[in-house]
Amino acid sequence: MPAWGSTAVWQGGSLSRIWSEVSVMGKRPATSGVPEPPGLIALVGNPNCGKTTLFNALTGLHQKVGNYPGVTVERKEGQVRFEDGSGTSILDLPGTYSLNPGSPDEEIATDILLGAATHTPAPDVVVCVVDASHLERNLYLVTQIIDRRMPVVVALNMVDLAEKGGVALDVKALSRELGVPVVPTVASRGEGIAGLKQAIFTTRTAGERSHCWRLPEPVERETEELVGLLHDVHRIPEPQALHEAINLLTSESATIDPLDRYAPEVIAHVRRDHAKLDFLGFDRRSVFVESRYAWIKTVCERTVRRSPSTRPPLSDRIDAVVTHRFWGLVIFVGLMALLFQIMFSWAALPMELIGRGFDLFSIWVQEVMPPGDLRDLIIKGGVAGVAAVVSFLPQILFLFLFLGLLEDTGYMARAALIMDRLMCKVGLHGKSFIPLLSSFACAIPGVMATRTIDNPRDRLATMLVAPLMSCSARLPVYALMIAAFIPTTRVLGVVSLPGLTMLSMYMLGLVMALLMAWIFKKTLLRGVPPVFIIELPPYRLPSPRSILILMGQRAWSFLKRAGTIILGASIILWFLASYPRLEGGAPATRLEHSFAGRAGKFIEPLIRPLGFDWKIGVGLVTSLIQREVFVSSMGTMYNIQDGQESDSGVSLPRKLREERNPVTGGPAFTVLTGICIMVYYVLAMQCLSTVAVMRRETNGWKWPLFQVGYMTVLAYVVTFAVYRIGMALGMGG
Amino acid sequence: MTRNASMTLSDVPVGTRVRIRHLSSRPEVSRRLRELGFCENVVVRCITRGYGNIICEIHDARVGLNSRLAGGILVSHLE
Repeated sequence: MPAWGSTAVWQGGSLSRIWSEVSVMGKRPATSGVPEPPGLIALVGNPNCGKTTLFNALTGLHQKVGNYPGVTVERKEGQVRFEDGSGTSILDLPGTYSLNPGSPDEEIATDILLGAATHTPAPDVVVCVVDASHLERNLYLVTQIIDRRMPVVVALNMVDLAEKGGVALDVKALSRELGVPVVPTVASRGEGIAGLKQAIFTTRTAGERSHCWRLPEPVERETEELVGLLHDVHRIPEPQALHEAINLLTSESATIDPLDRYAPEVIAHVRRDHAKLDFLGFDRRSVFVESRYAWIKTVCERTVRRSPSTRPPLSDRIDAVVTHRFWGLVIFVGLMALLFQIMFSWAALPMELIGRGFDLFSIWVQEVMPPGDLRDLIIKGGVAGVAAVVSFLPQILFLFLFLGLLEDTGYMARAALIMDRLMCKVGLHGKSFIPLLSSFACAIPGVMATRTIDNPRDRLATMLVAPLMSCSARLPVYALMIAAFIPTTRVLGVVSLPGLTMLSMYMLGLVMALLMAWIFKKTLLRGVPPVFIIELPPYRLPSPRSILILMGQRAWSFLKRAGTIILGASIILWFLASYPRLEGGAPATRLEHSFAGRAGKFIEPLIRPLGFDWKIGVGLVTSLIQREVFVSSMGTMYNIQDGQESDSGVSLPRKLREERNPVTGGPAFTVLTGICIMVYYVLAMQCLSTVAVMRRETNGWKWPLFQVGYMTVLAYVVTFAVYRIGMALGMGG
Repeated sequence: MTRNASMTLSDVPVGTRVRIRHLSSRPEVSRRLRELGFCENVVVRCITRGYGNIICEIHDARVGLNSRLAGGILVSHLE
């Protein structure tokens, strides 16, 4: 049987043709002199193969996190420094199982590898990251990339874990079988990184083999013919032609739409091939995948030795408990409870310290600057607004620490599996759980995390409801309202009422998100019930370095937002709440006379049915940009209204409590008002950044506008109902 | 084919090794399954069964799937 790899198959000029194409693809064929560094390196691999850890090890802190144009798939680019001091860009492509993409994430990786992306050139060297303990599964993608005739280096990662698991690998033999350099690494400890860099630096051509795996002979013959035809008719380069030929032969029928791209003679040929292979009894859909895996199996037999162990692997023993039908749920709920405990208790002290720091800064500014508009602007406009927001940094750090730990240890995939049952009930997917959990921090990473969901309808439904989860930007609003209006009594002697209120708000968001997802999946986004499949990585110790890098990146982007959007909004609001100036008159009248006051008065009739007055109206309007602006707005307005030179020392919650209704003389706000404000903020889409992400993600304004619309209506209706019921129960007085 | 060809992956007892015989899901789902290694003639082992899901070992990797998906994978006992 002629092998794909042997020259016999490629005789008749095709071999030389391939070589000429390879040198074009590689751009710089190896020369006798000192090689130049490659222009662009791409890092690819299955999800959970330790790719990001390796990326961090290769680049250190020289990395940029951004987005690919048009989608919110994260683009991570870094710089690799070689021994000779030269540097090269390296891209950390999204994890993928194959070059036939199933999700937007995988599509990006595939497009770049195939050279089909307009935003990124084809890489000069591809580094395939392979989990040494899971060679069989990981080599599938490697064979597909080797088929592309690109210069490839295989990084055999986590060899230490493989050895611990009783797996011995013959690296030289593996390199011989694959026909490409193989470098063993332990990315988390930086082992093998120098060797990997060296291999990247010197590898400039594709492996010697055109094609390592074998097909049953008749299938191979037909494939080869089709490759030749695609090349002759469409001038498709050989490696691309092989990829397309396999897809054509695998397709269910020869009449489906991608065929429109091909000439009639090609389509006729494909139809003949289908008939022939079906007649010969080959299952076209599986024969290519099966052949690859069959070849991989023989490679593994030659290169991997497993020492027989009597005990089942540690991961199996952990999984028996963690995914148990009862204990699994208990552990999951316990972890979530711990997450909230950490976010609300442990973060309290650092939050207070940050707040004090800003206070000291305000006092210092007051001492060194003469009174006047500029000082007002800095203290009441800038510092007050930014401080209200930056004090949430500890919570954000804790949340990402927790999420990072769950992800890195391998638990996250199990959590998705456990939640699948519940998610299925509302027509969603187990994988939707991770975006929803991330949305407790912020809807933006939440919306971005939906990219792992392959079904577009499930993905859209998840994105539409993700902003209903209470994000950290709502925390300041809840915290202010609870401090102002909820008495610190205990319910049943154990649970404190403020804590219970906070939890209720989170639950309200969660229940509404699930309810709306169910409604969307029943109406707008009807589709086949989702199927759920997820690879469960082996449990391992987390890499502190990776988690610290992740936390650093998130904290920085949060601070950037605070320094730009929030600072700007605070200054604008200060201006709007201070001008036009009304000489004389009480400070409260002056506020009413200002632009912000007038805007608040303007929308007052609209929000009166919710029990809100015009000052809350100002907060609602200004916080359309971002929810936490509500708190800074209230802070700014009450500071201006007080007309004092500085913060009078009276806290904002107390000011809210003591505010009088100008008509009745009674308190302007009650417990009910506080609850209504919280309920409104649970449900309303008050976040421009999320709208922007949704627009980019869905490639249009339709869904983000729909989302703003449905959330506003929902918030209005529910708040109105709560207000009416509360009034009827006599809570309004 | 074999005497047990009507058994699905969701019926496999914990710890048992079986051979995949046929994928009966939608074509795009079957394609995905094959690429993840759930191909005809491949041997899988059921590791644990949870609440509405199953974890199995395939090509020395651990994969979790929900019962609906596992119900579409026909398997038979090893000869």
